[in-house]
Formats: sequence, C-alpha cells, structure tokens
Amino acid sequence: MCNACGFPTRPGHWTDAGADNTGDRLRLQLRRAQILNKLLSGYGFNARTPGHGPGFALSSFSGRTTLVPDLEALWEESARQLGHPIDPLDPRFTSSAPSAQ
Amino acid sequence: MTAQPVDSRLRLTILGGYLGSGKTTWLRHQLFDGAFGNAHILVNEAAETPVDDTLLASRAASLTTLAGGCACCTGKNDLITALRTLCDQRSRQTATERGSNQVILETSGLADPAAILDAIRNDGVLVHHVRIAEIVVLVDALNAADQLHSEYLSRAQVESADRMVLTKVDAVPDATLAAVIATLKQLNPSAPIEAAVKGQPFSIPELPSAEPYDLPSIAAGEAPIMPTKIDIGDDIDWATFSVWLSALLYARGDDLVRVKGVFATPAGPLLLQAVRKSVQPPELLPPGATGRKNQIVFIGRGYEGDDLRRSLDYFSRS
Repeated sequence: MCNACGFPTRPGHWTDAGADNTGDRLRLQLRRAQILNKLLSGYGFNARTPGHGPGFALSSFSGRTTLVPDLEALWEESARQLGHPIDPLDPRFTSSAPSAQ
Repeated sequence: MTAQPVDSRLRLTILGGYLGSGKTTWLRHQLFDGAFGNAHILVNEAAETPVDDTLLASRAASLTTLAGGCACCTGKNDLITALRTLCDQRSRQTATERGSNQVILETSGLADPAAILDAIRNDGVLVHHVRIAEIVVLVDALNAADQLHSEYLSRAQVESADRMVLTKVDAVPDATLAAVIATLKQLNPSAPIEAAVKGQPFSIPELPSAEPYDLPSIAAGEAPIMPTKIDIGDDIDWATFSVWLSALLYARGDDLVRVKGVFATPAGPLLLQAVRKSVQPPELLPPGATGRKNQIVFIGRGYEGDDLRRSLDYFSRS
C-alpha cells in the first residue's frame, strides 16, 4: 500500500501474482528461472535472476547479457535477437506424447 | 494470509458492439431499471457531434462525453484523461461523499474493447485505480450475419466479450436467430448470451437447431476459432504455467483470442483472464469461491489443442 495515495502499489507483471510472502516470491523467482532455461536453452539463451531485485538477466551464447524487468520484456528481447519469437508450440516442445491427465 | 484491503478501485464496465447494435437503447433501460446503480457514464462517439449523451443524460447520475474519435485509437488519450479525472475527483472526496464506484463506458461502434483494455493496463495511473468489471458486447441479430461475414471488427468485438446481448431479436425469424446464436457460440464459447428487444430483456424462445454460419476468413489464412480446455495437473505449478503462458501469449497472442480460468497458487486461487496479448492483473479469489480450480480455457486459432497439452506437459516434467 502506498502511503501517499492509499492505493496498492503498482501491480507487478501478472506472472508475479500467486506469491504473497517473501518465501513464496523467492521460490517463484528461482523456479521460474529453471523453467525459463528449459525453453531458452535450445535457442542458445540462458536466464538467471539478477539477485538484487525483480527481473532476469538474459545471456545469449555470444556472452551478451541484457537485464530485463519482466517476462514480457524477456520474450521481446530474445525475439529481437533471434529474429522470431520463441514459440512454446514449436514441434521440439510438442513432439512427445502427453502423459495421462 | 493477511486480510484483503477494501477494494476502492473503480469498476469499469465496457459496453461494446457494432455501429447501430443498440448500445444506447440498452444502456438507457439498464439505467432505468437501476442495474448499474448510480454509475458514472462515459459515452464515446466516433463522430464529432455527439447524440447519445442527450439520450442518456436524463437517466445517468453523471455523464462525460468523449466525442471526436474512437476511444480505442484516435480518442484514446481523451478516454485516459477522462478516467484519470474521475480518479482524481474521487481521491478528493471523503468516503461518504463518494458515489458509486461503478463506471460504464459506452464505446463507439468502431471500438475494439480489447484495445481499450490494453490502453488502461498500460497507463501508469489507471492500472491501479481501475478494475475492469465486465465487457458486455451487443450484437444486432438483424445484421449480425452480414457484419460477421465482412467486418473483422465485428468479430473482434464478439471475441472479446464476457457477456453478449443479442438485440432486435423480435425482428428476425427463429431460424436466423438460431444460426446467429450458433455462430456467436462458435466465436466465443465462454460468454453467456442474453437477448433484448428495444432495450428490455427478452427470453430466447425454443429454437430449431442450426448450423453456425460458415464465416469466410477475413485476414489471410485465418483458421476458425476453437476452444481448448486444459485441466492442470498437480505437477504443474504457477511458476511453470506462468512462464509457459507468457511465452505463448508473446508468440501466439494474436491467435489466442481469450484465455480464462482459475489457477491454484500458494497464495490462493487466482482468476486469470487474457484478451489477446493483454493479461488482466490476476485476481485472488477467496478460498472455496469456485469449484472449478485448475482448469484453463484457451480460445483461439492456428494451433492444435493437443499441442497446448503436449507443450505444457513437456515443461512440467522436471
């Protein structure tokens, strides 16, 4: 809550919802980086939490590292470097059969 | 979990629908019946000379007219300014002076509600003062077939609706009405459909079964829209799902017309709603508020429903 206006602080990126205490937030951040790398590794990228705040450090195979504030910015930056967006429906991710749900 | 603070945000209802679909008539009756309480009305007209405001003024507690440009494109700044003024006024009032926190935006017939949603979400002030309550889209039963056949905008409006109201239903034969309803259900399977005649609620009669219209693709290579329901297993946590969905929306946002559902997170059940690339800030529901947890509906085109499942499954395997 903001002391000046009495309204909740600006909502973060929508993906930050679902964790309302520090422990959950930290867990979410670390787990997210793990999942991210599953998506990114095939494209020569690597993401890690920068350690000092929200967002991610996105490194490409060339060693270039960019700090991005949220996931949306991360997809934007990787698409800019690749020339096309990373698509979770790419055949490399959908070729295995789904496990029974 | 700490107690939820009182939500004092403005609740904005967006009223959309193609030109001449009866938005003003319907809204007048709703106001007369007291459906929206003492809501503040924002009327947007694409034309420079407004007409609708005179029709509504007698019924509305307070009204702002936004003339000279559609609020989703050229008149976007006017809309943002008007909403900011409303927020500013409210913040200067004491709790007792404050009227209703309901705001209704009657869009011009040329507006895409999803674009308005986006504009509000991207505004630094409005994003935490305004909450979108509902997108109601009116569909003119008499002209729907023509409009849906030829106008991309008309389809975009239907696709973004939370609730659809069919108007002028008394002017069409049952067979046409049945076909229009079948088409709307195909375009937007998750939104309930109501009917109205001259603004008054009308119960839809027993209709013959009908096939939806075979709508031609307007944009090049546009496939028909289809719903996919995904049950989220216990092995998929919010981190996995949110990373996956954010990538999916970035890559396929224009094809994913709507994503809707409830996801269980450590903080509680989250109500998730997205219209194309724009995701509304997920809302935390009180525990036990909904029976349908962990079920997300994707409505879109250009992909196989099973591919969504396979892809999500791939990322949930650690």
